[in-house]
Amino acid sequence: MSSLAERLGAYLTRTWDEPVAIEALARISGGASRETYRFEAVTAAGRRPLILRRDPPASLIETDRRSEFLALKSFHGRGVAAPEPLILELEGAELERPFFIMARIEGGAASSPFAPDPYAPHAAKLGEDFFGTLGRIAAADPATLPIAELGDAPAPDDCWRRALDYWSGVIDADELHPQPIVRAAVRWLRRHPPPPAQKISVVHGDYRSGNFLHDGSGTMLAVLDWEMAHLGDPLEDLGWAMDPLWRHFETERVAGMVTKAEAIAIWERASGLKVDPAAFAWWELFASVKGQAIWISSAKEYRDGGYAEPILCFSGWYTARRQDEILAERLAELAA
Amino acid sequence: MTPTVREVLQGCTIAIVTPPSADAGPDYAASRFGMVAMMIGLAAQEADRCAAAAIAENADVRALFAAASAYDGALGGRLAKAAAEVDADLTVPALDATNARLRRLVIELHEQVEEAGDAATNRAIVALYVRMAAGRRLALGGG
Repeated sequence: MSSLAERLGAYLTRTWDEPVAIEALARISGGASRETYRFEAVTAAGRRPLILRRDPPASLIETDRRSEFLALKSFHGRGVAAPEPLILELEGAELERPFFIMARIEGGAASSPFAPDPYAPHAAKLGEDFFGTLGRIAAADPATLPIAELGDAPAPDDCWRRALDYWSGVIDADELHPQPIVRAAVRWLRRHPPPPAQKISVVHGDYRSGNFLHDGSGTMLAVLDWEMAHLGDPLEDLGWAMDPLWRHFETERVAGMVTKAEAIAIWERASGLKVDPAAFAWWELFASVKGQAIWISSAKEYRDGGYAEPILCFSGWYTARRQDEILAERLAELAA
Repeated sequence: MTPTVREVLQGCTIAIVTPPSADAGPDYAASRFGMVAMMIGLAAQEADRCAAAAIAENADVRALFAAASAYDGALGGRLAKAAAEVDADLTVPALDATNARLRRLVIELHEQVEEAGDAATNRAIVALYVRMAAGRRLALGGG
């Protein structure tokens, strides 16, 4: 069998209808849900630095690569640092599994969500960019964007139910060891539904510390990992971004950047929306439920995949334990 | 619990002995081995504590069942029966199997308590959850 570089070169030569050579292809750590490679596509016109994202044999979450592609298309060049999407191949073709190719953003770094204080001394400036960008995503009208092709926008009063049904279904399907804490949280969420969404927005789905490139001086260069993008209540993303799991073990600064009040103020300015405290409390707890559902799935995929992927082990083990602590503390506050 | 220490160490062994693919860049290989090193460190913590954590959690759950006897009828007498049990087999797989059974019963009990609107028992169960989560805590970078 030919190498991945040879097959990728053959695909691009066929697709672009000109000779394409692939150089410097190397797999990089780029999220657990895709195989991510950096490479140079060399044509007569020059050299293009690109990223290939290919579905793995087993993935952390069942994703729709079309959603990711359309989300990138929706926001690239529209005031959000989204890499330019170039090619979507759902059939796999020469690469055998679905993939897409996007432009590579040079010069940035992604920080581990488990690193202590990764953004100092530019945390406040980065927080302005991080929560401001999320506000701009929330402000956009999905009906005017390519992501509208996905269709299936929920009614404002049904966003919460659709999201909760999906992730509680994941827990039902993938739970190996009984999880009473997250199940109690699911029941609480069902008993206390939030008010309807104030608008239907594009929800990134995994907008958090660690899922963007920054320049080390307080500026975001690229928002990454759009594979869970969908339409829903914009508070879903805000709750996820502020989950204590992504705080870098800090108690005061959300996402390791700014205080919760500052983050909400930045988001409200950028989005033109308001954060209703009762609604947001619901989405904060939901964020931890969604997280635990993903970690439960990771543990199952780690076992089903023959223990081959260390990242699935970490997610299904360490991260799941942390999420249980966060959930239990939230439930205790609600029960007090 | 999932994954077990045995599964974690199996995975670490597989990752170490499996040659990196031809397309894996040096950064990817380094990141993967860094992850494996972290897993081994966490496995050391878990190996030290998992039996004790399971024994403590099982005892804590049984104490809750004993205190929640008002719900025993609705749960077919299973609360009293579980509360009277002791962990005789102290191997980790046996403790985990017992823990899974007790956790399933906690879920059922909590549903009954919520249905009854029993705030005091609800608080007791949630306090148990806080202790359960703390008892299973793993610390990055050491114990």
